[in-house]
Amino acid sequence: MKLSVRMVVVLTSVGLLSGSFLATVGILTKERIEINKQRVIEEAIIKVVPGTESSTKLYEAKDFKVYGGKDPDGTLIGYGILVSGIGFQDKITLMLGTNISLTKTTRLEIIEQKETPGLGAKIEDEDVFLKFWEGRDCSQPISLRKPAVKTAEELAASEVNTITGATISSESVLKIVNNSVERLRQLIKEGNLQKGEQDAR
Amino acid sequence: MELVAIFISAILVNNFVLYYFLGICPFLGVSKKIDSAVSMGLAVTFVMTITAVVSWAINNWILIPYGLDYLKIVSFILVIASLVQLVEMFIRKVSPPLYQALGIYLPLITTNCAIMGLALLAALREYGFTEAVVFGIGSGLGFTLAIILMAGIREQLDLADVPEPLKGAGISLIVAGIMALAFMGFIGMIK
Amino acid sequence: MPARSIGQEFTKGLWSENPVFRQLLGLCPTLAVTGWVINGLAMGLATSFVLIFSSLVVSIIKKLIPSQVRIASYIVIIATFVTVADRFLAAYFPDISKDLGPYVPLIVVNCIILGRQEAFSSKNSVGRSLIDALGMSSGFVLALLVLSSIREILGSGTYLGHQVMGSWFKPWIIMILPAGAFLALGILLGIALQIEKKTKSRV
Repeated sequence: MKLSVRMVVVLTSVGLLSGSFLATVGILTKERIEINKQRVIEEAIIKVVPGTESSTKLYEAKDFKVYGGKDPDGTLIGYGILVSGIGFQDKITLMLGTNISLTKTTRLEIIEQKETPGLGAKIEDEDVFLKFWEGRDCSQPISLRKPAVKTAEELAASEVNTITGATISSESVLKIVNNSVERLRQLIKEGNLQKGEQDAR
Repeated sequence: MELVAIFISAILVNNFVLYYFLGICPFLGVSKKIDSAVSMGLAVTFVMTITAVVSWAINNWILIPYGLDYLKIVSFILVIASLVQLVEMFIRKVSPPLYQALGIYLPLITTNCAIMGLALLAALREYGFTEAVVFGIGSGLGFTLAIILMAGIREQLDLADVPEPLKGAGISLIVAGIMALAFMGFIGMIK
Repeated sequence: MPARSIGQEFTKGLWSENPVFRQLLGLCPTLAVTGWVINGLAMGLATSFVLIFSSLVVSIIKKLIPSQVRIASYIVIIATFVTVADRFLAAYFPDISKDLGPYVPLIVVNCIILGRQEAFSSKNSVGRSLIDALGMSSGFVLALLVLSSIREILGSGTYLGHQVMGSWFKPWIIMILPAGAFLALGILLGIALQIEKKTKSRV
């Protein structure tokens, strides 16, 4: 067989074999990968909207998705906003739970962050940061309390606590949250949220 | 503003070499002299920019629409290998002395994690076309910056009294560590 | 050159030709994922999978591939197994997959793998190629384990997630950061070379 023909034949065969092998592997693993992705979101929604039995996706844009948490009767009981924004070092992805009227926060969950270990990374810490985000008044922009306080009682209704030594990470989270609450408020006002029965994806 | 953030972040804050650990092999191998460092850096930047464009096109026009996500790794690396081959032929024709200077390092750009890393990160972050291009240029320049800085330091190190076991890769890595620390000063530039 | 025994074919990957400490290959993932032992271990095993199977395939079909297209063929074969490893992790170990991020796909440009195909599997029997791949893989996993153990113990005071240092220990955060990775590896390389020098001078 002439060399150039052989080269083409070999390359094509290798390519085809690889392609078909990968197609099989791809199809076999596709479903599980989808399920894994869904599970992360569903677990987050259950955490941020207490009492959620099922969820639906109400809006989707790049780095900004709104989910609705529904109780066993199917009534919408809260929103879970999955949003990404810039942090101190890298991207922060979080989910914020609010009530239907967008007046109170329920809970904040940090999904992904790459902040400075030991400092900014404390945004994932329950006692130092996350617990201060529960039940905040978000009908107006939330603000950061500086310097940090020890107990939640010392905070005003629309204040959250700073992490000592990680002001910028705290401020980044704040900015992401305020922007997304405002954005959701706009969406609701313009009537752009789907009332559909899609499952959360 | 978003594009500027991507650009600055790729060069300084999330420097490909000092933060993402991409491109270490050429970083250690070609950084002995400033001249070759500059050439390598520019060649890599050039390949990275084109790779950003082509991989974006393949991902968004073929892979995603037809659900062929599992072919991403294979197609990206083949694109990169072909691009490097083309660049190599181009340089050989246009500037033989440059070709001689870069020697073995040109084909090694194929296995340079920085290029593949660029394509993968741009796809992961779902960048649009302009964002991908800016990211490609920015990360290439970041790599170039790191490699030139390293070459400058190593030219000085050649004259210093480095303990025998640390000569070469050992001391280069330690220097890289200090550089990485220094670059941490850029964190928080983007808000 | 006298033929190596089967045993030597394996052990060379562990020390004398250790891919990381002696050949300085595969440094990108070595630095990137060794902040935590579990990640270093996972990366090592994934890379081993790709190296072993790629070497097997390349060695089996080595006579069929014309020299001019060998690199391209190796790349496709390696990329195929990398994709398998990546999909497998994403499907069955999603947490680790997320931690390792883009570094699993980056196994495809890990110079160790392409290097072994070019230097060894394409020129040796299937049996020997398998042993070589196993040796190199073990050497790589060993290197990752050493580096990640140092970084996790010093950087977080834990090992595989379990606290091992008492509360008196203030973690050296730098060990988790990129800077610490560079520094630790640089020093380890120095130590490895020093040991090598000492053993050589005794012979």
